Amino acid sequence: MPEVNKATDPSANAGGAPPLVSLKGVWKVFESVPVLRGISFDLKAGEIHALLGGNGSGKSTTVKILCGAHKPTAGTIELNGQPQSFDRPSDAHAKGIYMVPQEPHIFANQTVRENLLIGLAGDARAYAERCERLARELGLTCDFSICAGELSIANQQLIEIIRGLLRNARVLIFDEPTSALTIREVKSLFGQMKKLSADGIGIFFISHRLNEVLEISDRVSVLRDGVFVLSAATATLTTNDLVAAMRPAGSAPTKASEQARSSAPRSSTPVLEVKNLSGKMFHDVSFNLFPGEVVGLAGLVGAGRTELAEAILGIDQHVSGDVAIDGRRALARSPRICQRLGLAYVPEDRHAHGIFLELPGAQTISASILARLGRPFLSAKREGAVVAQFVQRLGIKLSSPAQLARTLSGGNQQKAVLAKALAALPRIIILDEPTRGIDAQARQDVYRLIRDLTAQGVGVLVISSELAEIVDLSDRILVMYRGRVAEVPGSQTRIDQVSAAVFGMAGEAAA
Amino acid sequence: MIPWKWLRSWEAVLAAALVVELLVLGAINPAFLSVENLLYSTSDFAHVILGALGLTLVVITAGIDISGVSIMGLASIVLGLSWVAGADIWVAVLIALAVGSMAGAFNGLLVANTDVNPLVLTLGSMFMFAGIATGLPGVLDLLGFKAYGAGGFAAYQYEGITGLPKEFTALAHGGIGWVPNPLIAVLLFALALSVILHRTRFGRYLYLIGVNPNVARYSGVPVKSVIVAVYMLSAFGAAMAGVILTSYFTSARSDLGSEALLNIITAVVLGGTDILGGSGTVLGTLLAGLVLGFLRQGLLALGVSNDVIPIIVGGLLIGTVAVKLGLIAFNQRRGNRRAYQLEISETREGGGSAT
Amino acid sequence: MTRIAKHRELLVLAILGVLIVVIGAISPNFLRPTTLINIVNSSLFLLLIAIGEMFVILTRGIDVSTGAMAGLAAVILGVSLNAGVPLPIAIVLTLLTGLAAGTVNAVGVTALRVPPIIMTLGSLGVYRGLMLLITGGSWIETIPHSIKSVAAFRVAGVPALIWISLAIAVAVAFALKNLKQARYLYAVGDNEEGAFLLGIPVKATIFSAYCLSGLFAGAAAVVFVAQIGFVPMQTGSGQELKAIAAVVLGGVSLSGGVGNAMSAVVGALFLTAVDSMMIFLKVPGFWNNAVGGAILLAVVFIDYRIRCAVRDQQQRARAREMDQSTLEKINPAASSASVMGKAT
Repeated sequence: MPEVNKATDPSANAGGAPPLVSLKGVWKVFESVPVLRGISFDLKAGEIHALLGGNGSGKSTTVKILCGAHKPTAGTIELNGQPQSFDRPSDAHAKGIYMVPQEPHIFANQTVRENLLIGLAGDARAYAERCERLARELGLTCDFSICAGELSIANQQLIEIIRGLLRNARVLIFDEPTSALTIREVKSLFGQMKKLSADGIGIFFISHRLNEVLEISDRVSVLRDGVFVLSAATATLTTNDLVAAMRPAGSAPTKASEQARSSAPRSSTPVLEVKNLSGKMFHDVSFNLFPGEVVGLAGLVGAGRTELAEAILGIDQHVSGDVAIDGRRALARSPRICQRLGLAYVPEDRHAHGIFLELPGAQTISASILARLGRPFLSAKREGAVVAQFVQRLGIKLSSPAQLARTLSGGNQQKAVLAKALAALPRIIILDEPTRGIDAQARQDVYRLIRDLTAQGVGVLVISSELAEIVDLSDRILVMYRGRVAEVPGSQTRIDQVSAAVFGMAGEAAA
Repeated sequence: MIPWKWLRSWEAVLAAALVVELLVLGAINPAFLSVENLLYSTSDFAHVILGALGLTLVVITAGIDISGVSIMGLASIVLGLSWVAGADIWVAVLIALAVGSMAGAFNGLLVANTDVNPLVLTLGSMFMFAGIATGLPGVLDLLGFKAYGAGGFAAYQYEGITGLPKEFTALAHGGIGWVPNPLIAVLLFALALSVILHRTRFGRYLYLIGVNPNVARYSGVPVKSVIVAVYMLSAFGAAMAGVILTSYFTSARSDLGSEALLNIITAVVLGGTDILGGSGTVLGTLLAGLVLGFLRQGLLALGVSNDVIPIIVGGLLIGTVAVKLGLIAFNQRRGNRRAYQLEISETREGGGSAT
Repeated sequence: MTRIAKHRELLVLAILGVLIVVIGAISPNFLRPTTLINIVNSSLFLLLIAIGEMFVILTRGIDVSTGAMAGLAAVILGVSLNAGVPLPIAIVLTLLTGLAAGTVNAVGVTALRVPPIIMTLGSLGVYRGLMLLITGGSWIETIPHSIKSVAAFRVAGVPALIWISLAIAVAVAFALKNLKQARYLYAVGDNEEGAFLLGIPVKATIFSAYCLSGLFAGAAAVVFVAQIGFVPMQTGSGQELKAIAAVVLGGVSLSGGVGNAMSAVVGALFLTAVDSMMIFLKVPGFWNNAVGGAILLAVVFIDYRIRCAVRDQQQRARAREMDQSTLEKINPAASSASVMGKAT
């Protein structure tokens, strides 16, 4: 039973004008999996309403229904009290609802001007003047005749916002807008949002960053497993309230650091040595990783940490410098060679690089060790045994062996990718944002796994953008700033100190 | 993508279709239904199935190779020219197979090392191989190779090379019992490919690459080598088809097999392989190839004009895919509605409020 | 670098120019106006088919039935002229045939959701079969003089057909740049989902692309019959593949969203010119295919390398941009709170 902490039914209105937008009893079922189970809530004019929820809770589906990209299996949408039915997004646009997607839908080969004006009813020239004015107000200062593919993500988002405003949107939905933005860009975005809400525009804001939610929103609603478990004014809530609401019922919070630190004897020979590695996004990076230790690599979004990991792995061939695994220099690297040498990598973007969505989860798990499952013929029995072993060890929930990875929750998908990496029995494992987009329970499982690995003498490099996680997990902390990596002195590993280093302040993080 | 359960039953559908087709054709023309006749007539379309079998593996990797038909002609002319240059006929066969495989390697290297659409790449190589096949005799003359006959190699340019040794030309017309050699070649190739695809890790790599080549790369799959190898395999099948056609028509020509492209791709798609990659079986292609081949033979025997047949094949191609897609969409919608109703009834019984 | 990548048709045109000069040096007859005009004249068939193909490829689709559609339309033209139908009406019938054939493809791809390669491969077979059925397998040998005179008609010494085709190409180029619905082609090919979410009528756009492909195949058929004077059985055979090669050569990307009418024109001219050049160089005709194929492969390979270089450049630029933005001075207290994330 879902816990309900504060005010329950978010659609309860204190009387007065009907809300700008409301959903009533909306269900949505995808491929026999119910994603939304009869949700109801509303949005008032000029309100910034944050929508929180773990992966698989139904946030994206909710807003897709609102903006007309999906039709509800049951339930109604109301605009100013009038029931609506949207067959396609342009219907929603016509009624003043627009979504700024997490990844802006840009026509990379067309000009910025085209991207801004395409799809508008009537003559595009009539909008030109408004377009220029909006661009100025929102800070889109680039040349309109360049290809939109060359813009930064932040500017591409601005294109989406302007598109919505040109369509006279009264409801703007932002889906995880800050995940790819720098701090300065986030501040700018929040300023724009405040201005828009002051004009009476209602804003939906999906995010998983609690601090941002608390900073910008007027109301917060938390979605869990397709139902709302919390909805209240932000002013009445604390971070803990939100975390508790999103946590599955019955699980207790444990901090990563509450688990015993690794007691494996620290050998003096590093299992991974990186010397003077230089590539497009980083310069002259050197560090060592010893067996049985966890090294955390902190840095801002876009600092180049994933690029560094991929360079070590050999995905990016245009790098100079040395990598040695177990003392042996690995000049020619590829994921395959690294695997053979004992280095495994869990990618940051599991959908793009980690998991085979359209195959059974079992086939992702076995993908890296097929050579070990029988020569010349694959043994289905051996494969099944290995898969079962890791399913049990990592607690992956599979409804049947043939279940497609696409239908697994984010947490289970991540575990499958982890299993794939672990199946190769690595001596070193690089985890890139291992807990991004997974529910709290899976997160705990990952932390426990890291402890187990270090106890077995595996060297673990964790790349993460969540400082609390890095500080809790790591025996040593490296910070990447402007392409250079430096180790944080043992005396300065408090969160605020690491944070300062991440921004290049005090403590002189540059090598 | 298509779930495995559906694929298993698609082969059954094809097998049933094959049986039904033969019975119907036999009912209209009983002479058609003699086992000897049926087996013998497979020699006419064995080359299509050989091309389609190899292509199936390529399509599973989300690639495509339309140069196979040109490789058939190339192999044929290389076979003839090698023999004319003095090689033993069986050595010439080996040379032809080797050259064909090299052509496949060329395709594979281009596909593996650029992000250019394989359709464009094999389109270019299709033209190139066809052109080389036609021009090869003249080139050999220029290079000073010696040939039997007064006209040098160039004499063979337009007429093809005839007079091949009897033990070679007997190949396509001979057989074991009633089973003609071309059919044996088809069955052996199908068996080999089936084992490779479903029982080796190379075969698994093909599916992984077809579903997501990036994930495959990150997972340590040797993507580039696998791609080169699979295009070589496909080209090998095409080269075999070229050799068999040469024996069948007792003449080595550079334009053998050029009409087969539509039939080859239809066989692959009809066999249940998804053109977008990630799924497909050898058995499906084999059965589909037989269905199509017998359809053509049967219609011809019935006196249906040769011209109408591509209309039927084309319609079959479109119809199969349209129906399959429609069924998948229908199943999904039904499943969704059912799941929703299940949830509703559960919550009502459970007594919990959903909001 | 980026500019070359974006204006491939100019690059190809330049290469063509160089080749013409070189061939002209070897064989001066090549540079006579008659020769050059003949080249353009013989490229018209491929050119019109290529323009039709371009519409489809812009939307990230493909049409391998254009040659067969042209063949079918040519057959209809021949048959109706021989049946006494007046020339203008016969031409309209031809165009309608092409349009109808294209519409069948359009329905299959949009309504039945059949992948374009499958749909057009299937209709290829159907249209070829229809061609053979209608003519009973034989060539249409005699065609009334009326249509052949169209090809002979010259304006300012240049065949009228060239002027007309040129006008069509210019009109298409203009429409592609300025007509809103034409820009939808680019949007759909560039990012179909994004186009859908923005309210662009994706299905209608794709539908019209395939219809246009058929229509232009019909126009190409008119030109063909006028120029050749009879309708051989293999009319259009293989032309679709040449048309695809032509547009790709000219800069249209198979992944959609890139290219314009000039691409089709330049590509068609290039391939036709290469054929002629080989004649002048006394290279036997059957090498045309090999050379054409090799050129196509060379061009797409070079294009790939250029794109890699451009992408590299962009990445470096973005890395520098990231560098710049982190240089901003920020209040450490407020910002560290923002980056802390969840307190688990």
